[in-house]
Amino acid sequence: MTEIYTWISNVFLVILSLSFFQILIPQSSMEKYLKFIFSLVILAVILEPLVHLMQGME
Amino acid sequence: MDYESILEKQFENVLEGENFSGISEETARLSEGLSDPFTLENILQATLEQKSLFQSSSMIESLKELFLYEMKSAVILMAEILCICIILGLLRSLSDGFGSKSVSQLSLLVCTMVIIGISLNSFRIAYGLAIDTVSTMVWTMEILMPVLIGILIATGSVAGGTILSPLILGAVTAFGFLVKTCILPALYLSAVLSLINCLTEKNYVNKLAKLLRNGAVFLTGLILTILTGVITIQGLLTEASDGVLMSAAKYSISTFIPIVGGFTSDTVELFLRCMGSIRNMVGVFGLLSLLLMMAVPLLKILIVGGIYKLTGALMEPVSEGKTADGLSDMGNAMISIASVLFFTCLLFILFVTTIMNLGGAP
Repeated sequence: MTEIYTWISNVFLVILSLSFFQILIPQSSMEKYLKFIFSLVILAVILEPLVHLMQGME
Repeated sequence: MDYESILEKQFENVLEGENFSGISEETARLSEGLSDPFTLENILQATLEQKSLFQSSSMIESLKELFLYEMKSAVILMAEILCICIILGLLRSLSDGFGSKSVSQLSLLVCTMVIIGISLNSFRIAYGLAIDTVSTMVWTMEILMPVLIGILIATGSVAGGTILSPLILGAVTAFGFLVKTCILPALYLSAVLSLINCLTEKNYVNKLAKLLRNGAVFLTGLILTILTGVITIQGLLTEASDGVLMSAAKYSISTFIPIVGGFTSDTVELFLRCMGSIRNMVGVFGLLSLLLMMAVPLLKILIVGGIYKLTGALMEPVSEGKTADGLSDMGNAMISIASVLFFTCLLFILFVTTIMNLGGAP
């Protein structure tokens, strides 16, 4: 149960901080790529419990 | 010895030392005093004197009062959220006036976070209420079931009692555990995720929240169907075998005992019928307790959920779509919690009625 709550709070914190970053980054041609990288980071955080699960299976 | 005195004697003997006053207290706590007229003694009196148990006017009155009170606090919540939303809309329309875009965006983010804080707080209260209600219902069933099964065996349904007792107790405990540790937390997480989703311009976790919610509701339905099916089929089967047992016992008493056999058989039947009406009284008490335990928390959660949906609908014109969607999803999660609560109560009521129906005709 605690793992799930840490997972959700991780997702919350990462999305929150990344949306702050998105506001703060200067507008440039790199902005699109940065946004894409941010979404990759969020994907990684969401998938994190899956990694633990795979490790437990082995 | 007449019917009433036998009934009262048996009633006292059966219910001695059981924790029924505890159930009454818990019901009164959860239903905020709505359950006061429904004590076991009142049900016994109503059965003996053949009068109505319900005083509809006072019940409707107190329900109305409760509804209005909850409505008032929920409307205050709605007003708070709507005020912030109006500020939010104003900020967005003014954002062109500010020099840099990032300042206005930052203020929008902060406003959304305030909305998230307010709504998560009220959601947590509703969630705690739901968990509390489910725990109390499971606890009630754990007290009620051994007594009911004991009475069931005393009425002659030996097979029914011995087979159903572990089955129903196991099902109640397992279902309660599952609801408390899987289904309700999943709904909570889904609400949190859909609120997180309001923060960002893009949808990051919208589908995940929906998946969690649908999974929880699906799991509830699946378990409910399986348990209901098993209990009903088992009840039907044992009822058939017990019916044969009972008529064989009555026949052998009246045939093989000379002279007083017929008289004894009638007395046995009288006692069994008294036991049967005690079973019905305890069952009715259990049903009423379960219903009242569920009704008031259900009402509260549904009101808050409805208010969230209404807030989501009202703020659509003033704010951007994301916040409105998030609040409306929150309302959906609350309504799902209410439906899980309702289904839990329905399952338990089904168990009690299955037992009440068993061995109905000795």
